[in-house]
Amino acid sequence: MGLLSILRKLTSNPDRELRLLLLGLDNAGKTTILKILASEEITNVTPTAGFNIKSVISDGFKLNVWDIGGQRKIRPYWKNYFENTDVLIYVVDSADKKRLEETGIELYELLNDDKLRNVPLLVYANKQDLPDSLLASDLAQALGLPSIKDRAWQIQACTASEGRGVREGMEWVCKNFKLK
Amino acid sequence: MIEDAKKRAEEILKAFQVNWICLRDADTGKVFWQGTEDISLPDIEHEARVPKNILKCRAVSREFSFSSKEQIKNFRLEQKVLFKGRCLEEWYFEFGFVMPESTNTWQSIMEAAPESQMMPASVLNGNVVIETKFFDEDLHICTSRVRLFYV
Repeated sequence: MGLLSILRKLTSNPDRELRLLLLGLDNAGKTTILKILASEEITNVTPTAGFNIKSVISDGFKLNVWDIGGQRKIRPYWKNYFENTDVLIYVVDSADKKRLEETGIELYELLNDDKLRNVPLLVYANKQDLPDSLLASDLAQALGLPSIKDRAWQIQACTASEGRGVREGMEWVCKNFKLK
Repeated sequence: MIEDAKKRAEEILKAFQVNWICLRDADTGKVFWQGTEDISLPDIEHEARVPKNILKCRAVSREFSFSSKEQIKNFRLEQKVLFKGRCLEEWYFEFGFVMPESTNTWQSIMEAAPESQMMPASVLNGNVVIETKFFDEDLHICTSRVRLFYV
C-alpha cells in the first residue's frame, strides 16, 4: 500500500490536506516505515538529524507525512511540528526494553500537549522479528494505552524492515482521521 | 531594513546547503537520477540525464536533501516545472521550523498526466526545468534549477 493508494482511498474528500506526524525515540524505525510507505529500498537508513517529509497530491487532496528525528538532543524541537496534525503515529522498538519507560514518558508528554489534543494515535510496535520483543498487546499494557480515553488509539505490531504490518496500521489511519 | 534582510539572507545561505536531488519512479521507488555534484552552488543550472521511460511512470517523485547550520523560522519552498519557461506544474510547501545543525529531506510525489496528454520525449528533451526556490518567510534564500534530458 503506497502513499498514492492511501490517498486514493481518501479522495472522496476533495481540497483537504492530511498531515501525519511520525514520532518516537531514535532507532525506533520511523524513517524505515516512511520508506516502506513510499515503496523505497530501506538499505542506507541513517539517524535523522532533522526531518523527512513525503508529500503526495492527487485530485486536489494532499497527504503530508512528517518523520522527525528522535535523538534526545532534538526532541525539544518536536513541538514545532505538532500544529494541524491529523493523526499521530508513535513508533516503538518493541525489543528495546531498557528504554520502555523513556518512550512512555515521551509519549505521554505528546498526549498532554494542547496542540495534539484529541488527535488519533497509532502506535507501531515495531521490530517484532527480534527475539525478546514484546507482543503488541503487552506493549500496549506496559505503555498504559488502555487508559487513554480522550482519543481514538490503536496499536499495530509490525516489522518495518520486512514491510510487515505497516499497511494494516495505515488502514486504521484511513478509517480514523476526522475531517475538520 | 532592506540591508538587514539582505544580511539575514546571506547568513542563512552561508549556512544552507542542498546535498542532493533525486528523481524516482514513485510506484517502485526506483531511482532514475541522483545529482550530488555541486548541487548546492547557486546560479548554476544542473543537468539531469534520465531514461526516456521515466515518462511512462504513473507517478514520479522528486526528492531534495538539504542541510542548515542555522535555525530557520519559517522555511518554505516553491517548486515549478517549466516547459520552455512556461509553468506546467507548481507546488508550494511550508516546512515551518528548521532545526539548527539539521539535515532534512522533502519528497514530492505527483501523478503523471494521462498518456494521451503526455508530450513525447523528443519534444520535452532539454526543454523541461525543475526550479525550486527556497525562502525564509518572504526572504529568498536560493534557487535550484535542474534541466532534464531524456535519453
